Amino acid sequence: MIGNTVTRAAPTKHPLGRKIVPYLYVMPLVLLMATFVYIPMVQNFYFLFHKFSAFSKEQTYVGWENVQLLFNDPVVWTALKNNILYCIISVIFQVFLSLICASLLEDRLFRRIATHLRTMFFLPVLISMTVVAMLFTQIYSPKGLFNGLINLLGGKSKVGWLGRSESAIFCTIAMSQWHSMGYTMMLFIVAIQKIPEDLYEAAEIDGASRIQRFFTITLAQVREMIFVTMVTTVSGAFLVFNDVYILTKGGPGNSSVTLAVYMYNMAFTQDRMGYASTIAILMLLICLTLAVVQKKGLRSGEVD
Amino acid sequence: MKKALAVFLVLLLTLSMASAIPAAFAEEKITLTFFHRWPNEPKGPYMNEVITKFEAANPNIDVVLIDPVLNDSYKEKIRVLVGSSEIPDVFMSWSGSFGQNLVQSGRVLPLDEMIAADPEWASRIVESQWGPFNYDGKQYGAPWSMDGKVFFYNKTVFDKLGLSEPNTWDEFIAVLDALVAAGYEAPLSEGFSAEWAVSHYMGTMVQRMVDPEVVKKDYALEGDFSDLGYIDVLNCFKQLSQYMNADPCSVDHTYARNAFIDQDGMLIYMQLAEIKYLADGAEFDYSFFDMPALPDGKGDPNELTGAPEGMMISAECKHPEAAMEFVKFFINEENGGLMTKMTGELSCVKGAVNEETVSSPKQLEAVELILKATNTTLWQDNALDATVASAFMKGGQLLLIGDMTPEQVMQSVQAATKEAKNK
Repeated sequence: MIGNTVTRAAPTKHPLGRKIVPYLYVMPLVLLMATFVYIPMVQNFYFLFHKFSAFSKEQTYVGWENVQLLFNDPVVWTALKNNILYCIISVIFQVFLSLICASLLEDRLFRRIATHLRTMFFLPVLISMTVVAMLFTQIYSPKGLFNGLINLLGGKSKVGWLGRSESAIFCTIAMSQWHSMGYTMMLFIVAIQKIPEDLYEAAEIDGASRIQRFFTITLAQVREMIFVTMVTTVSGAFLVFNDVYILTKGGPGNSSVTLAVYMYNMAFTQDRMGYASTIAILMLLICLTLAVVQKKGLRSGEVD
Repeated sequence: MKKALAVFLVLLLTLSMASAIPAAFAEEKITLTFFHRWPNEPKGPYMNEVITKFEAANPNIDVVLIDPVLNDSYKEKIRVLVGSSEIPDVFMSWSGSFGQNLVQSGRVLPLDEMIAADPEWASRIVESQWGPFNYDGKQYGAPWSMDGKVFFYNKTVFDKLGLSEPNTWDEFIAVLDALVAAGYEAPLSEGFSAEWAVSHYMGTMVQRMVDPEVVKKDYALEGDFSDLGYIDVLNCFKQLSQYMNADPCSVDHTYARNAFIDQDGMLIYMQLAEIKYLADGAEFDYSFFDMPALPDGKGDPNELTGAPEGMMISAECKHPEAAMEFVKFFINEENGGLMTKMTGELSCVKGAVNEETVSSPKQLEAVELILKATNTTLWQDNALDATVASAFMKGGQLLLIGDMTPEQVMQSVQAATKEAKNK
């Protein structure tokens, strides 16, 4: 309040006007968010209790039927398992390995080639997912690069990696890591660059090894960034759609399906909008819960 | 300075308005929106060429093309568009239950009156192709292309080995065995990563094997898919998979077709509309035969799978006459012939597929085969409810890779049927 009176040359005559102005500033955003995020979200809860198709003019009330269906649907469990796999592997690669790579790139050892390596790792991020998926379809095909590599090492592989239920999901996850690691690595590099150099110098004088410096200084100083990448990676893993849809469409069968792909199939190929909404709500609940858990777990926003 | 700029801007605005007014008062310009499913070669350029020709012939009609999307995406997008206020004036549709679904929305225009008004045009279309677009006695679509699904084979190799076209299932298996014995390890080239390729096999084999009455009931969701014939179908499909390339679910149909052209495979189950690819690429002689009769099959072995694709007009269209002109322009002898010439699709217009428009004489044989068939079996993914069709397709994929038994596939089809009835 003090700041207000000092900076403002001529205070508004009506006290009411002064109260309204800030709200007017946030109004456009609130309206946009409400129209495109919050209202549809609430509507989705309404859809949960109905069944209808894209064509139907009215929606039939079915009570908890969609939820019952959800829990008894084996494909939902397959999808959930795939999303969890996605999540675990993505966190290992895009949070922890990325952080290690970033700190290696920022180390004096690599100073000369760091810029080139950074560009190299970041390049995949710039390629559109559609192109990446087309590329990997070729790589994983029976006569593709991946089998070529195995055969070069003395193997004799003619496997179509995307055509088997055991391997399809892992192939998709691997592609995603290749595509996204560069991005989180870049975030960590920025965070590491912001750490004051004297901390490292002091530690070095105290005789701390590289590994000790990593754990005591780097890890502690980039905690906020770990939180950010963790939240985006985890929620990204539970919302993943493009990668799977373009590469395998969830096949063969439903073996590599994820919740988002299954929801899409239900809504737009099978025309079961109510059930698709139910899957959407499951995804929302999972992401919300995980975000809250992570916020508590990493004590984000608290100042030491 | 500011003033000068303002005056200039006002003048500019006035001038631009003045130029806009006469155009608006001139002849009323009709806009037609059109949605098809070929962003790619060779059909994309064909569509554009016909649209340009149409606009040149009808200067008062402006055709606005909605960005086309490929097959599977088109199925999804057109369903959504037809249900929305953005429904295109003219759009492509498959026949069978796919078209029926669109028609049930009540937003597709029946064409009967406009067809009756121009009997000359209607009589030039191959009669058997109208039926699949006829729902509840009304004609909702005009057929545009006709097609059939058959086994193409490498005739050069067949002749060399002294093999002939099989008529029965046992003969078919014997031919495949002979090819394997001659060193062609995987004679049947297939790619099932896109599910529809599975449904083409399933559709034909179900028709050949299961009692037509039962199929009719089951497909209309009045039955429960409990006939044991379905299990036999899946067993036959599994039997064929032994002769296919390894992991057929890892590659798509285009890959399989290229493998056939490269002589990696000796046979492929393929559409007649694809002959052009062979004519352009294959360096060997090839021919085709319809799916042979299945052991103890109860269906007519002379039916041919492959339903026409066609054009529909929106019931919300403000200028149905103009839209119909557009449809008729596409489906006439000149542009039908152009389609066959540019894309290899077989036009439904009588005489459009002739010596001048075909890229291979095989296409003339193809038309003969289509006209000779006793009946048209619809594509299974168009004939069936989407949920049940999906269970067949996904089940078929899992059957091939050994994750499901025929019995398990049918259980999932039966479960899907229950869900579909409850939709």
